[in-house]
Amino acid sequence: MIPGLLEKLGQWFSRSWMFMCFFAGFFLFWEYSIGWFDVPRYILPRPTEIITKSAADIDRLLYYTWVTGSESFTGYIIAIVIAVPLGLAIAFSSILRRTIYPFFVSVEMVPKIAFAPLFISWLGFGFLPKIIIVFLVCFFPIVLNAILAFSSLSEELTRFCSATGATRTRAFLKVRLPAALPQCFVGFKYGAINATVGATIAEFIGSDQGLGFYIQIVTGNMRPDLAFAAIFMLTALGLFLFGLVTLAERLLVPWHISQRRNK
Amino acid sequence: MTAAVDIQSVTKVFNEGAAAVAAFGPGDLRVEAGEFVSLLGPSGCGKSTLLLMVAGLLESSSGAITVKGRRVSGPRTDIGIMFQDSTLVPWRTVRGNIELQLELRNLDVRGYEDRIRSLLQQVNLEDFAASAPYELSGGMRQRAAFCQALVHDPDTLLLDEPLGKLDAMTRESIRRDLQNLWLDKKQTVLLVTHSIEEAVQLSNRVVVISPRPGRIEKILEIDLPWPRDLATKNSSRFSEYVMEIQLIFQRYGVI
Ligand SMILES: Nc1ncnc2c1ncn2[C@@H]1O[C@H](COP(=O)(O)OP(=O)(O)OP(=O)(O)O)[C@@H](O)[C@H]1O
Ligand SMILES: [Mg+2]
Repeated sequence: MIPGLLEKLGQWFSRSWMFMCFFAGFFLFWEYSIGWFDVPRYILPRPTEIITKSAADIDRLLYYTWVTGSESFTGYIIAIVIAVPLGLAIAFSSILRRTIYPFFVSVEMVPKIAFAPLFISWLGFGFLPKIIIVFLVCFFPIVLNAILAFSSLSEELTRFCSATGATRTRAFLKVRLPAALPQCFVGFKYGAINATVGATIAEFIGSDQGLGFYIQIVTGNMRPDLAFAAIFMLTALGLFLFGLVTLAERLLVPWHISQRRNK
Repeated sequence: MTAAVDIQSVTKVFNEGAAAVAAFGPGDLRVEAGEFVSLLGPSGCGKSTLLLMVAGLLESSSGAITVKGRRVSGPRTDIGIMFQDSTLVPWRTVRGNIELQLELRNLDVRGYEDRIRSLLQQVNLEDFAASAPYELSGGMRQRAAFCQALVHDPDTLLLDEPLGKLDAMTRESIRRDLQNLWLDKKQTVLLVTHSIEEAVQLSNRVVVISPRPGRIEKILEIDLPWPRDLATKNSSRFSEYVMEIQLIFQRYGVI
């Protein structure tokens, strides 16, 4: 158990030490270049300063991380729950493919975030408009990838299923669905990246809590150190969401090329 | 007796109008039950197209096909077909892929355990039953796909270049296995191949198809004793058959 764990840790380290060195170097440069170039702290604080100063406000930061996190997560999950079955329906219905699909493709070109002020003005400062905005920025990549996923089974496998006389349900569960998962996850990943962006911008526009709201307030108060602390929290939030998707992918699609480890 | 496969003036034209591609025909062919017939022809002459039409997976543009006395009008599930491109799915092991054929047919996998084992043994894959397709070589994958196509023990087999990706040595040994399998069960076999030798070695009759749009140029009865082993292949009668077919293709300028 322990030697196995150590070995895994060793492997992980040998894969990522270069990246970690680069990362450490980046923060060291940031830390010391502030002094070298005489950057005033109300413009750009040092990383150590960000940590020590924000510690005083950690309760608020954590609470707002929770707020922004739940907005992102809820909107994202709703987007998945609606987009995947809808993508499936569009892939299999020639009517939907000729109506809703081109509509979605054109709406995909619209910057969804431009609707944010409208939703805030219609629905107020609460949770709901945030979720709708997160939903909007997550929904389209997920649904478009789901359509692609469910409509791109190879001709050979389609024929193979017909030749066995399998019922549609059986062929779907045993062949179409597993074959579609990798492409679905492409959409889930784009969605996960968009979710926190959507939530933050929605909070910029109209809100009385959350990390987006916090960044605006502290920036107005000339406290970039606190703004950076909030940005770190947002980054952690994004990584967490993305990590969850990656984990799910590893569990559900361990056979896919992107998941294989060359041993 | 009704023919196992009866192809009557069948043609296939893909697309319409200016983009039309005449892919096959018209062609006539009668295959008796238990017969091993090879379709031999240059690339693009419509061999796969014909096989798909026999399986009911592709509609013919004109003509009629009957399999075991029943007109083909949709996918036929009472046959076994091995496609030119792999139908192995990456999320299942070799064994799982073979079982997929059974599961899709709603057959009880447990009843086929012995058969799966013996098939894997025949194609030398018994040690790779638990491997994923991507862990196999191209030839091994083809052997696995071969087992997948045969596992439900159909009496009619449509094989589209089943040995196409194999190296010369494995090819030789799988040909022998294929022959033994057939001598044992006497299924009706339609085999698509590019190899003249393979066609002559394995078949009762070799159907020579012209370049696109494929027409049946000649049907050769191969009158050689079974089983046909290396000694048969070195006989002068074998070479005469091969030569005869080579001359046809030479006339077409494909070799
Ligand atoms: N879906 C399609 N649409 C249009 N043309 C097609 C289609 N499928 C096949 N063809 C054409 O039909 C012809 C016959 O194709 P087919 O796949 O049957 O050839 P083949 O004899 O099996 O060749 P190969 O030995 O290379 O596999 C080809 O010329 C090809 O261009
Ligand atoms: Mg072909």
